[in-house]
Amino acid sequence: MGIGTEPFWSGIAEGRSAVRPISLFESANFPVKVAAEVKDFDPKRFIEQRKSLKVMARDIQLTVSAARMGMEDSAIEIAKIDPTRLGISLGASLISMSIEELSPSVRYSLTESGAFDIGKFGSDGMNLLFPLWMLKYLPNMPACHISIMYNAQGPNNTLTTACAASTQAIGEGLKVIQRGDADIMITGGGDAKVNPLNVLRYYFSKCLSASARPPEKVSRPFDRDRDGFVVGEGAGIVILEELEHARRRGAKIYAELVGYGTASDGAGSLGQGFNGRGLAYAAESALDDAEVNRDEIDYISASGLATVLADRAETAGIKSVFGAAAGGIPMSAIRSMIGYPGASIGALQLIGAIMTVQRGVLPPTINLETPDPECDLDYVPNTAREKEVRTAMVNSFGMGGHTASLILKKFV
Amino acid sequence: MNRRVVITGIGMVTPMALGVEENWKHLLKGDSAVGYISLFDASTFPTKIAAEVRNFNFADHFPTDGKLDFAGRNTQFAILAADMAFKDARLPGYDFDKRRFGIYLGSGEGKQDFFNFVKIIGESWNGQSVSNAKFVELGEKVFHPIMEQEQEPNMAAAHLAEIFHAYGPNSNCLTACAASSQALGEAAELIRLGKADIMISGGTHSMIHPLGVTGFNLLTALSTANADPTKASRPFDRKRNGFIVGEGAGILILEELEHAKRRGAHIYGEIAGYGTTADAYRLTDAHPEGRGAIAAMKMAINKSGLKVEDIGYINAHGTSTVVNDKIETLAIREVFKEYAYKVPISSIKSMLGHLIAAAGAVELIVCLLVIRDGIIPPTINYEFPDPDCDLDYVPNVARRKQVDVALSNSFGFGGQNVALIVKRYRS
Repeated sequence: MGIGTEPFWSGIAEGRSAVRPISLFESANFPVKVAAEVKDFDPKRFIEQRKSLKVMARDIQLTVSAARMGMEDSAIEIAKIDPTRLGISLGASLISMSIEELSPSVRYSLTESGAFDIGKFGSDGMNLLFPLWMLKYLPNMPACHISIMYNAQGPNNTLTTACAASTQAIGEGLKVIQRGDADIMITGGGDAKVNPLNVLRYYFSKCLSASARPPEKVSRPFDRDRDGFVVGEGAGIVILEELEHARRRGAKIYAELVGYGTASDGAGSLGQGFNGRGLAYAAESALDDAEVNRDEIDYISASGLATVLADRAETAGIKSVFGAAAGGIPMSAIRSMIGYPGASIGALQLIGAIMTVQRGVLPPTINLETPDPECDLDYVPNTAREKEVRTAMVNSFGMGGHTASLILKKFV
Repeated sequence: MNRRVVITGIGMVTPMALGVEENWKHLLKGDSAVGYISLFDASTFPTKIAAEVRNFNFADHFPTDGKLDFAGRNTQFAILAADMAFKDARLPGYDFDKRRFGIYLGSGEGKQDFFNFVKIIGESWNGQSVSNAKFVELGEKVFHPIMEQEQEPNMAAAHLAEIFHAYGPNSNCLTACAASSQALGEAAELIRLGKADIMISGGTHSMIHPLGVTGFNLLTALSTANADPTKASRPFDRKRNGFIVGEGAGILILEELEHAKRRGAHIYGEIAGYGTTADAYRLTDAHPEGRGAIAAMKMAINKSGLKVEDIGYINAHGTSTVVNDKIETLAIREVFKEYAYKVPISSIKSMLGHLIAAAGAVELIVCLLVIRDGIIPPTINYEFPDPDCDLDYVPNVARRKQVDVALSNSFGFGGQNVALIVKRYRS
């Protein structure tokens, strides 16, 4: 949707779609032709050291850039805080190899007949890769880069649970602070899924849409004619801080994170078999953790994976938590606008929910043209809605069956 | 509420053996699991040796209707080790609340279809560059769909939830060499917080594939002492020259104490302390004064309420790299002061190689066995003392000693450090 929180918020609050024809690689002969890409991203704007940039795959660049923005926004003065109580908890996933980067080594190792010769690769071909090559692709590297940038010596974890990754990372960050092991946690996640290897991998899961509709109409969570998700990329960072610590330094406070729950469907390893039970348990666990009653939830940021099965499962899960009251809680899926940006989705959902609490506007679920009888809740169809939201829930659920739920409150 | 976390079941699959007791036997004898790489032709690679789980056929050990055939080796190891641990804990058939039964692993990525991958790259050349259009076109036809999906690092945790009907918290972390220790620490915290009563935790990894070995070789992190494989992994020895990559899984059943007592579970030990820090220094190099490692050990010791003198054994990270072993030694000296010279320290990586994400879990199991049996496994290949590494590394021969408290270190690539303390369970 853009670089920065305001472009993101105005995009989702206006119900705009960030889905376009794929431009990051040539997808001419491939059934999937659309994606939600980060446009006009210049990592040099956020990462000064050329040496560092060289060892950052796009996923890492996006995450580190978002961390830069988040830390600047927080106005934390690094020199004044205890570095051992500044930690990091991020969601990430497998970072795909760059085919262009590997190609010279592979081509060098081909025999005359064009077959790959691993002997030649081992003795010579591999040396065409630069020595720090592997570091570009390790999922814990965003957390490592950020720790160096901010001298963050506290607890440091990277979670790789797909759709739930950054939601869990943020939740775990909350727990680290609550248990007294840190005062500030840089949390969230980043991912860049718009590349051949990732798109293929999702395609094989049969959860990716291959629709021929115009790009902005492809992502349609909860709509009767949905046929899968749109691949995307992005990064979201949320700075969590212990309240007294924040007050003492006169920090600007966006909202309060009051609860976290996580569970599993016990199904969904290959994108199939979702049942909504895991989402229900995560939500109940979060409500319990937050000591918030069900009837206090004013808005839910839904996962909205947009497969037939997943959205029905999500709906069933929400109904099992909220009962008859489920229909009265507006629940929208920003994936309808930004696709599935991999491990960053939970963080972006949380940022959207924080802005909702601040601005009193619910982003819509766009492309909801024909209701599915089995998805009969209020998904804030197509148009944003003004509503005062004091307590919001963010749910993440999807590939692998991991589920996570966060609850935030307007800070008073 | 003061919820205590104990370990009631253990399982492991390593290059040495399948199963805990078989592994333990060999570790105490000082055997080495390192040999020549057979999983791919590494004859021209700088490093030709590794610690592989040899002749591994998943279907021989676990009933699978074919669905798991294309899961990565890491997932298969994890399933097997979890099955062992679950049975060891005598949980099959026991009726307990599955919503309070979760999974937290430190699992690496699954297996890449390397040879198809490079084949397609080769065939996608259009004279000037790789054609991504051609790549995806070929990939759609050639890649194995299930194997491709099974590469994501959350797959092991996802499969375990399905197999064991674990509907509680389910996470996977990948902080490199610290991953499974971190998973265990966080799983324990979830139990303490009351979010679960039983957690399957630990880790798994299998990186003995062309791109894994290539990556480590380019970083010059691996030993290239190919002539004598069983002698190549030599932690703390003056002639150490890099680590040996291994593969495998270690799984522990963590359980809330009262829950364990109510069902009469056998208790191996108790999680007494967990420390997690970051060096915040460099991408690959550890902080020269070991500040992150020191802080992690101190944090674990503080949390345990114990004194350094209470620790009877340290299971070192001990990778056999020049830098790690020197800095780990320095860090232990700083934390333990004079007592550093009295506490026995050993690295089982000398025998098993480095299981990367799985290392911490396997090493914590070893700590529990040390407590159980009063014998400490050695650091083998210790021949030439290094003045920078002047502590007692239990060289070459296992040693009898009653140990009530053990500390395990895991220091990851990228500067994430974890220290775990386990102690003999006493009510």
